[in-house]
Amino acid sequence: MTSATAFPVAKSRTRAGDALTKAVIYIALAMMLVYLLLPVYWMIKSSFQSNFEIQRIPPLWLPADPTLKPYENAGLLIPMWRYIYNSLFVSAMTAFIASGISCTAAYVLARFRFPGATLILALILITQLVPPITRVFPVYFLIQSFGMLNTYSGLIFAYVGFSVPFAVLLLRGYFQTSCPPELEEAALMDGCTYFSAFWRVILPVSLPGIAAVTIFTFLNAWNDFLWASLLLSSGEMKTIQVGIGEFSTEGGSTEYQNAFMAACVVSTLPALILFFFVQRWLVGGLTAGAVKA
Amino acid sequence: MSSVKIRNLRKSFGSLEVVHGVSLNISDGEFVILVGPSGCGKSTLLRMIAGLENITAGDVIVDDVIINKLPPRERNIAMVFQSYALYPHMTVRRNMAFSLKLAGKDRAEIAEKVAIAAEVLDLEHLLERKPAQLSGGQRQRVAMGRAIVRNPKLFLFDEPLSNLDAKLRVQMRAEIKEMHQRLKTTIIYVTHDQVEAMTMADRIVVMNEGNIEQVGLPMELYYRPQTLFVASFIGSPAMNTVEGKLSANGLFRFSRGAEINFGDASPRSGGDKDVVLGIRPENINTRRQGIPIGEARIRVVEPMGSETLLSTSVHDETFVFLDRDRQEFSVGDTRVLFAEPTDFHFFEKTSGERLA
Ligand SMILES: Nc1ncnc2c1ncn2[C@@H]1O[C@H](COP(=O)(O)OP(=O)(O)OP(=O)(O)O)[C@@H](O)[C@H]1O
Ligand SMILES: [Mg+2]
Repeated sequence: MTSATAFPVAKSRTRAGDALTKAVIYIALAMMLVYLLLPVYWMIKSSFQSNFEIQRIPPLWLPADPTLKPYENAGLLIPMWRYIYNSLFVSAMTAFIASGISCTAAYVLARFRFPGATLILALILITQLVPPITRVFPVYFLIQSFGMLNTYSGLIFAYVGFSVPFAVLLLRGYFQTSCPPELEEAALMDGCTYFSAFWRVILPVSLPGIAAVTIFTFLNAWNDFLWASLLLSSGEMKTIQVGIGEFSTEGGSTEYQNAFMAACVVSTLPALILFFFVQRWLVGGLTAGAVKA
Repeated sequence: MSSVKIRNLRKSFGSLEVVHGVSLNISDGEFVILVGPSGCGKSTLLRMIAGLENITAGDVIVDDVIINKLPPRERNIAMVFQSYALYPHMTVRRNMAFSLKLAGKDRAEIAEKVAIAAEVLDLEHLLERKPAQLSGGQRQRVAMGRAIVRNPKLFLFDEPLSNLDAKLRVQMRAEIKEMHQRLKTTIIYVTHDQVEAMTMADRIVVMNEGNIEQVGLPMELYYRPQTLFVASFIGSPAMNTVEGKLSANGLFRFSRGAEINFGDASPRSGGDKDVVLGIRPENINTRRQGIPIGEARIRVVEPMGSETLLSTSVHDETFVFLDRDRQEFSVGDTRVLFAEPTDFHFFEKTSGERLA
């Protein structure tokens, strides 16, 4: 029997090069990760330390004497939990209303041809070209004239208005590419009305796209500082972002550093939790197999 | 089980008319196939019957009722799409049960109907899968299952097999035909594959550019095509056609001067007439049966097992013929081609109409 080892094994000439490329990519990624995560780590670490420990030189990378006291203090120094509730309520309502509106609008714009459809799309696009800061006065006076200053609904109204155009554009594209018209036609043939076809077929199939839009609008509202500080600035109605902003000038950056860091940590938690819950929708792949590849 | 009448049906997209007044009667339980080249309006016609496309003019009549204005859900018509259009978020079972659930049937009845359809289509072991986990042929069967559980008045198929490989297509062809024989539901089936049409249909409707060219039994279309278009569309490989002149006494003259004498076998032409002569590749022989067409130089030889397809040139015209006698051919050989006079077809050159 002839042995298989009698044949020479071909060597790849590009393998060494590949390894080098990989190494470079990993090093670059690692550096970026450090750049992004270091401040986050610093914030979390500091929220469990005493002010004395934070200011030690050389700095301590791990809390020597971890404590929950800063969280307690943050709640006493500012109405942190009330601010969080304000933010949660406003952001959730914004996400809910904006997704509902943009979902139905995008569907109509994706599926039906009607006079003026192109004009509507163009107008929606134009709103995205106007720098947000130029809207400050018109929006402020509009909300004021509705008597909605310092109310949740005033801020929600503004946020919904800002997020709907982008959401419509995004979802329209999603309906067009991931949700072929045949699906809807099959549903119509199977006995659906236009509405039930949308509700029972299009909507579930489009969940990843809709989830993405919902999260996006939620986070936009959650992270906003400008509009919240303008429209919802008095007393206990403040959102957490505005509250933290004020805290930073009221001792947050000096004698209450650890409490300030604790408030910051708390303010990032809802977004983090939300992301863990919905990420499976974002992975997509739900539409695979609907039609031929 | 229903009869379908289509009366003078027209469809325009904007100012562009794509279906020009089509009329057709389909009787109860018939399997009718619409064929025609791409873009001739087959899908549009089907979608108007389904209610997915507005009707510009004319009527669709099912069981003697005009249904033009009914939305799809009230027509009780099932449709199988080319892309299958299975609901990706539902299991096979729920895909098939969907229409029954919408119709408000009770659980037991739905379960029973789905079980029967699954058994018929051999889908029992796949019921809990999602469409993404199925092969092309299995998806196709689920799409059919979704249609048959409803027991509709009418089935519409729009090129249901065009995404399958050749072998699977032959198998599904047989399955669909068998399903029709068992259920006896009226079927309107669109394809541009004329083999599919010939093998499955009770009756074939040949369409071209928004008009019906001819309606007939498969064999009628094959043996007596009424127009040049039908002649060259039906049959595989396609019919050979040559332009020339036909004289009153049955003499066909090629443009290069050679002649074929048909004598009494030719249609009466009343003087020299511009015609197109047609002869099917399978009707040509080299066994000296019938009348001679001319000497052929062989240009391409394509052995296909049981038969050999030869591309030849006769009097500078291309003639394709099928040899079933397992002769040896090589490129450059010459043979004299023959055919029975009754196997020739004559069409008027300008109108493309068949001459008696
Ligand atoms: N929504 C539409 N708007 C404008 N023109 C259309 C529309 N749908 C179809 N058409 C046109 O109508 C004609 C017929 O189209 P149809 O889809 O019925 O062809 P078909 O016979 O099914 O072709 P194929 O075999 O390729 O599926 C084509 O010329 C097509 O361009
Ligand atoms: Mg088509």
